[in-house]
Amino acid sequence: MKFFRPDNLPGLLSIIGILLLWQAVSRLFLPTFLPSPAELLANIVSIFGSPSAYLVIAKTLQRVFAGLILSMLVGSVIGLVMGLRRSVESFLASWIMVLLTFPAISWAFLSVLWFGLSEVAPIFTVVLIVFPYVTMNVWEGAKALDKGLTDMATVFRANRFLLLRKVLIPQLMPYIFSSLRISFALSWKIALVSEAFGAGHGVGKELTYWFQSSRADMMLAWGASFMVLMVLIDLLILRPWENRVFSWRQLAAT
Amino acid sequence: MSSQAVVIEGLSKKFPSPSGFGEFTVIESLSLQISRGSFVSIVGPSGCGKSTLLNIIAGIEPHDSGAVRIAAQDGANSTARIGYVFQSPRLLNWLTVEDNIKFALEAQNIGRASWDERVSQYLDMVGLAGQELNFPLKLSGGMQQRVAIARALAIEPDILLMDEPFSHLDEITARKMRVDLMHILERARPTILFVTHSLREAVFLSEEVYMMSVKPARVFKHLRVDIPRPREPEDPRLFDLEKDLVREFFAVIEQDHR
Repeated sequence: MKFFRPDNLPGLLSIIGILLLWQAVSRLFLPTFLPSPAELLANIVSIFGSPSAYLVIAKTLQRVFAGLILSMLVGSVIGLVMGLRRSVESFLASWIMVLLTFPAISWAFLSVLWFGLSEVAPIFTVVLIVFPYVTMNVWEGAKALDKGLTDMATVFRANRFLLLRKVLIPQLMPYIFSSLRISFALSWKIALVSEAFGAGHGVGKELTYWFQSSRADMMLAWGASFMVLMVLIDLLILRPWENRVFSWRQLAAT
Repeated sequence: MSSQAVVIEGLSKKFPSPSGFGEFTVIESLSLQISRGSFVSIVGPSGCGKSTLLNIIAGIEPHDSGAVRIAAQDGANSTARIGYVFQSPRLLNWLTVEDNIKFALEAQNIGRASWDERVSQYLDMVGLAGQELNFPLKLSGGMQQRVAIARALAIEPDILLMDEPFSHLDEITARKMRVDLMHILERARPTILFVTHSLREAVFLSEEVYMMSVKPARVFKHLRVDIPRPREPEDPRLFDLEKDLVREFFAVIEQDHR
């Protein structure tokens, strides 16, 4: 794991170049319109200096994860059943398509109309937009299940629960993890948009507040902080988890 | 209580024909008996419905008429235990070798207390002692098939079905596996129905051989191999027997073509 390798050079140059360009351009504007990199960093530090920021972020994370977990559960179950039962597949396939193509922003508005300024609205929005992606993925996986393994389990008289737990779900894990990745990326973006429209507080609400005060610098600071947090969650939780689940594959490669 | 482990009477199976019109008969009024503890082979060319027959016995393929009865060793009111070794190992690659065997034990509702003992007993029997915690993809094809054999033996089946279990292995490995299987059979005495397209394999391993012709599958010869086991693969009596059977086989096939 060496960072300074010749093939890293272009990437490094692009980061330095952008920072320089950003620094140069920011000179032309007010710091509240386009802050310099250093000013942005100072803003981020000031945000995390106040304890209320943590409450705001915790509130948003709570919605992101509630929406994510519900989407994964609902999406996986529907996807699996669609892959296993032709009747369910033909019953639901067109509705999944409807949900996938329905404009995401409409759900954000509609859920405010339907649920008002409540906890339900952002979570509802996330689930409606995200779960069809999970369903599509897991459905694809369920259609690719190895019939030979199911037959093997049937001959040995595995009951449904054992079949599901040790034969079917492990085969779906690659599809479940790729959905989890997409869902996580989608969920937090949607949660923020949804909060901007209808939530008491949250990161999305912070963004609207600073927008109404014409403070681009604070919007960027909030956006960047949240981005870093999401990347950390991906690197420190999702990736290691994925590596652990698929360790049997890496073993095979050696 | 009969000494027959499996009795098949007048079994027939039709498949819809590939053209979409009508159906063709894969198996027609097939009858055979397998007595407890014996090793019976079914030999026939590819596509004669051998695998279909095993799948019907295993209960993963329906049949049209006739009866399949499998006697459970431990009393008439329990369901028969069926072990199956497929052409490919069909292991659960995400589970360790040990957990693959425990999967079958759990599926069969075998008491948890005996799991560890059975795992080590049968892994030892197939020559894989010490591989308990390895993952299947780390093993060679031959070793994976040994795990599959251990898994099938570990449930102590009333009938062990084997569907060309060595056909996916290279010839040298397959040869060693046949000899090893012969030695395994001295320690465990399961009832085996073994399906193969290799006459040599069949006469080397079996006590009884059913020879089948194609479309529809019917038994045209049933014989006993009275050479005591364990046998040597180079035993000249096996070669002579194989030669005779090959001749008979071609005679029947030519008759069918006429």
